[in-house]
Amino acid sequence: MSGRLLDDAMWLAGLVLIGTILCFLLTPIAVTVIMAFDSRAYLGPLPPPSLSLRWFEQFFSDDYFLRGLSTSVKLATLAVTISTAVGLATAFVVERTEFAGKQLLISLFLSPLLVPPVVTGFALLLFLSHLGLIDGFARLLCGHIIITVPYTIRATLTGLGGIDRSLTEAALSLGANERAAFWDVTFPLARTSIVSGAIFAFAVSMDDVAVSIMLTDATTYTLPVALISSMRANFDLSIAAASVMLMLVTLGLIVALEKSVGLNKAIGQGVFRS
Amino acid sequence: MTQGRGSFLLLLPSGGLFLGLFFLPMAGLFIESFRLYVPGNIGSSANAPFTLANYQELLTPAFAGFLFETLRISLLASLAGLLFSFPLAYWIVRKFSPRWRAITVGLFVTLMFLNVLVRTYALELTFGAAGPLRPALLWLGISTNGRGYIETLVGAGLLHYIVPVATLTLLGTIQNVDPRLIDAAQALGAPGWRAHLGITLPLCMRGILAAFLFAFTFSISAFVIPMILGKGRVLFISNLIYNRFSEIADYPSGAAISMVLFLVALSIVYVTSVQVSKRWSA
Repeated sequence: MSGRLLDDAMWLAGLVLIGTILCFLLTPIAVTVIMAFDSRAYLGPLPPPSLSLRWFEQFFSDDYFLRGLSTSVKLATLAVTISTAVGLATAFVVERTEFAGKQLLISLFLSPLLVPPVVTGFALLLFLSHLGLIDGFARLLCGHIIITVPYTIRATLTGLGGIDRSLTEAALSLGANERAAFWDVTFPLARTSIVSGAIFAFAVSMDDVAVSIMLTDATTYTLPVALISSMRANFDLSIAAASVMLMLVTLGLIVALEKSVGLNKAIGQGVFRS
Repeated sequence: MTQGRGSFLLLLPSGGLFLGLFFLPMAGLFIESFRLYVPGNIGSSANAPFTLANYQELLTPAFAGFLFETLRISLLASLAGLLFSFPLAYWIVRKFSPRWRAITVGLFVTLMFLNVLVRTYALELTFGAAGPLRPALLWLGISTNGRGYIETLVGAGLLHYIVPVATLTLLGTIQNVDPRLIDAAQALGAPGWRAHLGITLPLCMRGILAAFLFAFTFSISAFVIPMILGKGRVLFISNLIYNRFSEIADYPSGAAISMVLFLVALSIVYVTSVQVSKRWSA
């Protein structure tokens, strides 16, 4: 029967398609990892004749990259801390109170996700220059807070929404004050969601170029901005070494996400713009 | 519940942040886009007169070309992404053991979280002018400097993010389709491909549209991918905004282009969500 034949052909086409996609997704990563350990001083054909750590050494002896790395780490840590705290305070009130326009308020809190990052960055650049704020780190911090805070608000809202309200009421009726009820009952139950929001926020902060590139000054810039400028200037394999280290950071975040929340749950409540 | 008025004080930090770092800057951007720009200055002067010139400039074929190119490459990459992701998600849901499914989900989440710079650099290293594929490409008669190749490479960069995200989105959608429906169709004599076309696909349409919306809005606002892989020959609207800022400091024009990009992104979200709610009103 021609239907059967077609089915077999579809099955085969499906396998070929999936193989091709996986190759496309994974080959560039494999190539980058191999090249990062290439011992040659020039870009040669694969595989390299011998391996070395020279590009890693070069990365760590380059002040330009190191300065970017230190800014990025400080910036991400500070921005995520602020966004997580603000996200918790906001989600707590929004979740626990009923008022007209609640849905609208939530949409407003998530609205930065709808704006292309380069537009957010440009708007901030104009606004902060009008205010006279020229310090690079302060400007970057402003940018990174506004791109990460929708993620922490959303994750915390989801987490608080899943908690049975009667638990808090029980604590209150047993004599706990509101503060104690929050820190002893609500917060521990919402912790995994707060953590997953913070992990997403950290990844967003480390990943950003479009907002940061607008807000840097001559001496304060993030690692991605430093990498992108040297990527355009020359083809230096210390960028491959940096890429391998960034991949390790990503893997670390994934492991943290899996250990704290579980990947399946995190995906359900985190990344997607609705 | 005893919710004191004091708890609303907790909204102050976020209210301040959103007002000062988002709503006021966006309003400022809107105003700046109507300011007159004097070449040679950095940005507009404080009391520059209002004008429509910044938008009129965008009616030229040159700008329409950039907008069209952004939309074209984004649309093709998003459609290709769905074409690849749907079978992939179907395979993972229906044919993989739970163990393999967990492994693939882990792999795709990792690919989704991969730093955009790493992604772009890896693609450039592998498929670019000096990459290991160069001999094979030359043999096939494909020039790594040709416009078609560069456009494809930008599309491939977008695809490298779209495929993991769209696949993960579609996993849940496909999981909700009862496999017995397909069994029933086949028992009634429909070949597998017809059963899928007639049952699986329509039941998944909502998830497919959601994945498409995500892919398309991500693509049109992409910045790093066209900047690096486009080599200055393929420019997306985002890159144009950055160039207005970094090369000629024409802020009013950058602001006008930003407003256009913002409106395009919003209308895509609006049109798609209206379609979704019209067909699947709850």
